[in-house]
Amino acid sequence: MTKHEFDPQVKQLLDGELTLADLPAELRQEGEEALRLLAAVDREPVSLPAVTWRVMATLERRRQRRLTWLLAPALAAAAALALWLGRPANPPAAASSAMVTVRFVLVAPGAHQVSVAGTFNRWDPSATPLVRSGSADMWVATLSLAPGQHQYAFVVDGVRWVPDPTAPAIDDGFGRRNSVLTL
Amino acid sequence: MHPETGDPRRGAPSDGEVVRAVLAGDRERYAVLVERYRDRYARYAARMLGSSDAAEDAVQDAFVRAYDQLAQCQDPNKFVGWFFLILRNRCFAEQRKSRSHVSLEAASSVPTGDRSDAGTETAERRRALQEALMGLTAEQREVFVLKHVEGLSYIQIAERLNTSVPSLKMRMHRAYDKLREQLRDHA
Repeated sequence: MTKHEFDPQVKQLLDGELTLADLPAELRQEGEEALRLLAAVDREPVSLPAVTWRVMATLERRRQRRLTWLLAPALAAAAALALWLGRPANPPAAASSAMVTVRFVLVAPGAHQVSVAGTFNRWDPSATPLVRSGSADMWVATLSLAPGQHQYAFVVDGVRWVPDPTAPAIDDGFGRRNSVLTL
Repeated sequence: MHPETGDPRRGAPSDGEVVRAVLAGDRERYAVLVERYRDRYARYAARMLGSSDAAEDAVQDAFVRAYDQLAQCQDPNKFVGWFFLILRNRCFAEQRKSRSHVSLEAASSVPTGDRSDAGTETAERRRALQEALMGLTAEQREVFVLKHVEGLSYIQIAERLNTSVPSLKMRMHRAYDKLREQLRDHA
């Protein structure tokens, strides 16, 4: 036992299995020190009144996004040439011959995790993670997407939704900006 | 804390009834569960993460995840125990993510509930203890928080975390020693 370790009987005191009076005289002072530690425990309740609104707003926002996804016309266009990296090396099957390979890039200093959520993955932040590339701050993901218009946002550390700074964006009707990609 | 089955007031729908209504398409009813349990675990999350702001994010995120996985809640009447495990996973994930960012600032941002002049010493002791708690492993901190903040017995904690009492005690006793070492300067 080092000088920092409580005596086993004092630990029983902390566990509520003994009282101070149960301790031998030579352990009383250590017991009092232990009880002072417990007296500093903060048991004040914590209230988070905004959580109800925040949770329900998040669910509603996602519902609206999914609705948008269901209703959005598949607008074929060739606007996002900057994101076009070329077709896959192997000729794809006929059903996917129109798919376009797109590279998503975000520079996010200090991020631990980045993903992209959008109409192409039902706004699921866990569906399409980006991986670090080259610079520690650069995150990338390459996807094959159908021609048309897609809306998306990056999700940093699972909680922060940020639009793509290199793409046009539109208001999602709930105070946030969705990036728009037209293929 | 309350029993795992929840304790809706007389006349209020049970957790099971609300879960089944949400799964049947009445999404707005989910607010009943959020309202009912958001504060019950707020303190646990705040003490685990060292910050009320982080706790708010974690509780919010846990509720959203619980909504997404609601169909997997095998016993809707035990929603609250199931939700706790989601929040717990969220807190542990956050801890792993921000291990290097645990700071005195975060520890001191936990409201102490006693800021009067007369309570300055108490507030300082609370702050020092919370700071020391953030120096424990998440597993050690959790058992300390559940026992000494939430007031659960070792048996209740063991049931909740599906572990044994001796293993919890070993974790706790290491926590006591570590806290003692860290609080020496504040004695």
